[in-house]
Amino acid sequence: MPDLLTTSLTGMRAFQRALDVTGHNIANANTPGYSRQVVDFVSRGAQASSAGFIGSGVKITAIRRMYDSLLGQQMQTAATQQTRFSTLNDLSSRVDSLLADADTGLNSSMQSFFGALQDLANDPSSLPTRSALIGEAEGLVSRLRSLDQQLAAIDNEVSGRLKLSVAEINQAAEGIADLNDKIALTRGGPPPNDLLDARDQLVTALSEQISVSTTLQDDGTMNVFIGSGQSLVVGSRVQRLGIVNNEFDPTRLDVTYEGSSGSTTLNTALTGGALGGLLEFRSRILDPTLQSLGQTAVTLADAFNTQHSSGLDLRGNLGGDFFSIDGPGVLPSSANTGAPTAAVSISDFGALTGGNYVLEYDGAAWSLRDEATNMPVTLTGSGTAADPFVADGLSIEVGGAPAAGDSFLIRPTQDASGSLTALISDPQAIAAAAPTRTAADFSNTGDASISPPTVYDPQDPLLLNNAVIEFTTPNTYSINGAGAYLYVDGGTIAVNGSSFTIDGTPGVGDTFTLSANFGATGDNGNALNLGAIQSTGILDGGNISIGENYSQLVSTVGSATFQIQASLDAQNVVLANAENALLERAGVNLDEEATNLIRYQQAYQAAAQVVSVTKNLFDTLLGATRR
Amino acid sequence: MRVSTMSTYLNGLTAMQRLQSALDQTQRQISTGRRILTPSDDPIASARALEMRESIARLQQFDRNAGIAQNRLAQEESALASVNDVLQRVRELAIQANNATQSDESRSAISVEMRQLLDGLVQIANQKDGNGRYMFSGLMEDTQPVTRVGGAFNYNGDQGQRFIQIGESRQLPDGDSGADVFFRIRAGNGAFISSPAAANTGTGVLGAGSVTDPTQWDQGQYTVTFIDPDNYEVRDSGGALVTAGTFDPGDTIAFRGIEFAIDGEPAAGDQFDIAASPLRDVFTAIDNLIAAVEMPANDGTARAAMNNGINAGVLDIDRAIDNILDVRTKVGSRLAAIEKQVDDNGALVLTLQDTVASIEDLDYAEALSRLSQQLTTLEAAQQSFVRTQGISLFNYL
Repeated sequence: MPDLLTTSLTGMRAFQRALDVTGHNIANANTPGYSRQVVDFVSRGAQASSAGFIGSGVKITAIRRMYDSLLGQQMQTAATQQTRFSTLNDLSSRVDSLLADADTGLNSSMQSFFGALQDLANDPSSLPTRSALIGEAEGLVSRLRSLDQQLAAIDNEVSGRLKLSVAEINQAAEGIADLNDKIALTRGGPPPNDLLDARDQLVTALSEQISVSTTLQDDGTMNVFIGSGQSLVVGSRVQRLGIVNNEFDPTRLDVTYEGSSGSTTLNTALTGGALGGLLEFRSRILDPTLQSLGQTAVTLADAFNTQHSSGLDLRGNLGGDFFSIDGPGVLPSSANTGAPTAAVSISDFGALTGGNYVLEYDGAAWSLRDEATNMPVTLTGSGTAADPFVADGLSIEVGGAPAAGDSFLIRPTQDASGSLTALISDPQAIAAAAPTRTAADFSNTGDASISPPTVYDPQDPLLLNNAVIEFTTPNTYSINGAGAYLYVDGGTIAVNGSSFTIDGTPGVGDTFTLSANFGATGDNGNALNLGAIQSTGILDGGNISIGENYSQLVSTVGSATFQIQASLDAQNVVLANAENALLERAGVNLDEEATNLIRYQQAYQAAAQVVSVTKNLFDTLLGATRR
Repeated sequence: MRVSTMSTYLNGLTAMQRLQSALDQTQRQISTGRRILTPSDDPIASARALEMRESIARLQQFDRNAGIAQNRLAQEESALASVNDVLQRVRELAIQANNATQSDESRSAISVEMRQLLDGLVQIANQKDGNGRYMFSGLMEDTQPVTRVGGAFNYNGDQGQRFIQIGESRQLPDGDSGADVFFRIRAGNGAFISSPAAANTGTGVLGAGSVTDPTQWDQGQYTVTFIDPDNYEVRDSGGALVTAGTFDPGDTIAFRGIEFAIDGEPAAGDQFDIAASPLRDVFTAIDNLIAAVEMPANDGTARAAMNNGINAGVLDIDRAIDNILDVRTKVGSRLAAIEKQVDDNGALVLTLQDTVASIEDLDYAEALSRLSQQLTTLEAAQQSFVRTQGISLFNYL
C-alpha cells in the first residue's frame, strides 16, 4: 500500500540528491574538463487499488554527465593542431627575427665586409684600410658564429622540450591506464562521471602533446593510439615513449616507441601536438636554416680563398687562405658493425643542395639517399680516391671494412657556419694585388700595346716567372727566345698561368714582358676580383650570389613563419569553436544551477510539507479517536 | 543556445587578448615607423626590401669609390696642367733661342731657365699625392718613378693602372702611369726622325717633315747624302739607292711616302739620317733641347747644327704637349663619366629608397586610425565583459 510518508520521503531524498548534484555542479563551475551532471528522476511504480493505480513517489535512476564524445574528440583534434602550430610559431618566429634583425642577421656584417673590401681596392697600400678589412672579416665571422650559437641554443631548447613532452605523454598515458582500471571496476554500476571526466581531461592533455586516436571498449576502458597506429594505452597496459641519442649525432635526440617487440625510432611518424611541432620545427625550419647558413659560409670561404690565393700581398708573396672552414661532416652510425671509412669533400659549390645525405652499404654496394626525403641519389664513380663517388656537388671516398647495413650521415654544410674563422691577422698579408704585370719595352718601334694580364691558373708553378715576348718578324713572336708563334692582332697569349692580349702593329724586335707584380703596392687587381664575389652567381649552378642565398633563407623562413602564424590564427578559432561547442553541452551555467537550486529547494520544501500534512492527518485521526 | 559560465569568461578573455595583441602590433608599428616588424609580417616584401637595401648599400659604396677616384683624377689633372705649362714655356724659350738675333750669352741665359724647368718637371713627375704616394709610378706607389742616372732618365714604376669600381659593372682607372704620361712619347714628327750627321759642313737645316702616304712608309732607315750642293741621293740601310734628285735650298725631299724640306745650303758629303720615330721621354727631349741651345753658334755650320738640334727638340716637345693633352682628355672624360655614373647611382638610390620606404614604412594616417579603432573596440569589449559578468541570478537569491 502506498503510503504518503514514504512517498514524500522519496521526494525529499531525491531532491536532496538533486541539490547535492547542483552543489557539485556549482562547485565545479570552473574546473577544467568538468562536465555538468544532471539527475534523472523517474516516478516509482504505482500500486493498484480499487480507485486505480496510486503512485509511490520518485526515484533517481541515474546521475549523468552531459558530455558528447564526438564534440570531445573534435576539441582534442583541434587542440592537437593548435599546440602544433603554437609550438612551431613560438620557435620559428624566433629564428625569423634572428635572421632578419639588423643586429643579429648576416646582411649588415656581409655588407660592411664587402664595403671594407671596396675601400681596400680604393687604397690598396694603406695599412689602416687593410686592418679595417681584417676587422670586418672578424665581424662577419663572429656574426655567423653567433647566429650558429643562437640556433644551437634553440636546438638545445628543442631537445629539452622533447624530453618534457615525452615525459608528459608517458605520465598522461599512465594516468589513462590507471583510470581505465578504476572505470572497469565500476562496470554494471552507475556511470563513474568524475572518473570519465578525469580520463577525457587526460586525453585532452595528451592531445596537446601528440596526435592521438582513441577507441572505447565494452568494459568502459579506452585504448589510445599514436603515430601510425602504435598503441600507447591498451586497457591498463602502457607502452611508453622513450628518448635516445640519434644514431649518427649523439647531440640530437630521437623519440622512440618502447613496444613489446623492442624500441623503434618514431620521429617521422609522430605528428601534431607539441611533440610533433618540435620535430617538425627541427626538420622544416631549424635544419634547413643551419644548412643554408652553412652553405653561405662554405661558399664564401671557398670563393674568397680561391681568389685570395691568386693575388700578391704587400710582401710579394702569393696570398694564402683567407678563411678556414670545416669540410662536410661525416658521422658514422653508432650501429655500424664493420669498420668503414668515408671522406667527403665538396667538389662543385654550384651543385651543392645544402641538404643532408645518408650513405649506406648493403653488403655489396654503397648507396646514397636524401636524409629529409629518403629519395635515392644517383652516385657516379667508384668511390676510390682516384675515382670518388660524385653526387650533388659532393665527392665521396669510401674505404675500410664495411659490413652490410653500415651507414654514415653526411652533413655537407650544416655544421659549417660555426667553424668559420678568419686566418689573416697581418694587414700586409692581404693579397690585394694581381700576381703579374705586363709592360711594353720603351725601345719598341711599333704601335702595339699589351693589356694587363688575367690569371687563369694561379697554381701554375711558373706564375711568378718572367716571360719575354719578342717579335722576330711582324707576324711571329718568340717566348723567352724560343718558338715562333703566329701573331694575331688582339689574340690572347697565355704564358705561365697568365693571359693577355697584344693589340696593334708591333715592330720587328719589339719586346713585351710578363713579370711578377712585385712592388706594385698600389695594385688593386685582386681586391677588385675579391669584391666581385659579392655579386657573382656561385650557388645553384651559378645563378645565386652569396648575398642572395642569405636573402633567400630569410624569405624562406619568413614565408614559413607567416604561413605558420596564419595556420595558428585559424587553428585558434577552430579550437575556440570546438571548445565552445563542447562547453555548450557540458559546461556549467550558474544561472541554470541557481534555477535548479530554487527548483529543488522548493520541491524539497513541498515534500517536507507533505510529511507535515501526513502528521496532521495522523494527529487528526488520533484526536478523533482520543475521546 | 546554452551558454556555459566558463565559456563566457573564456571567450571574453580570448577576445580581449586578441585585441590587445593587435593593439600591441599597431603600437610597435607606430613606435618604430615600420609596417614590417619581422619578415613573417610580409615575407615577399621583406625579402625584396632586404635585397634593395643591399643594392642601396652597394651603390652608396660606389659613390664613395667615385669620390676617391674623382679626387685622384683632379690631383692628376692639376699636375698635368702644370706639366703643360712647363712644356709650353720650354717651347717658347726654344723658339726664342732659335731666333737668329740671340747671342751665345743670351741663349745660355735661356738654357739656365730651361734647366730649372726640367728640374721642375722631374719634381712634378715625382710628385706625391695627399697620402704620400707617388702619383706617376703606375701601381708601384712607393717607388720614385723618375731618377736621373748619368744623364739618362730612368722610369722605375710599372705601366699598370688602378681601376676603381664606380658602378655595378663599371670600372675606371684613377690615374695614368708615368710611362704613359712622360715616357712613351714618339720622337720627331711622330712617324720618323731626321737628324743631320755630326760631320756636316754645310748649313742645311731640316724641316719637320710628314708622312704623305702611310702605305708606302716602311719605318726603315735611310740616309740622304748630298753628292754636291745641288744633287742628293737616298740610300736605305743596305746601301741600295732609293731615289736621287737635284736640290735647291728649301726643296722638299720625298721618298717612300714621306717628305721633308731642307733649308740652307748643304755641302757636298753632308748626310741626313731618317729613321722611324723611337720612344723618347720628355725629360731627355728637354735635356737634348738644352744641349742644342747651349751649342755655340759662331759660324754658319755650327748655327745650322744648333738650329737642327732646337728644331728636333721643339718637335719632341710638341709631341709631349700632344701627349699631355691626350692624357688630360682621357682624365677629363673619366671625370665626366664618374659624374654621370654618380648621378645615375644617385637616381637609382633615390628610386630604391622610395620603393623600400613604400614597402616597409608605415602609413601613419592608416595606423593611427587603426589604433584608435582598436582602442575603442578593446574598451567596448572590457565594458561589455564587466556588464555581462556582473549579472547573475545568485544576486537575487
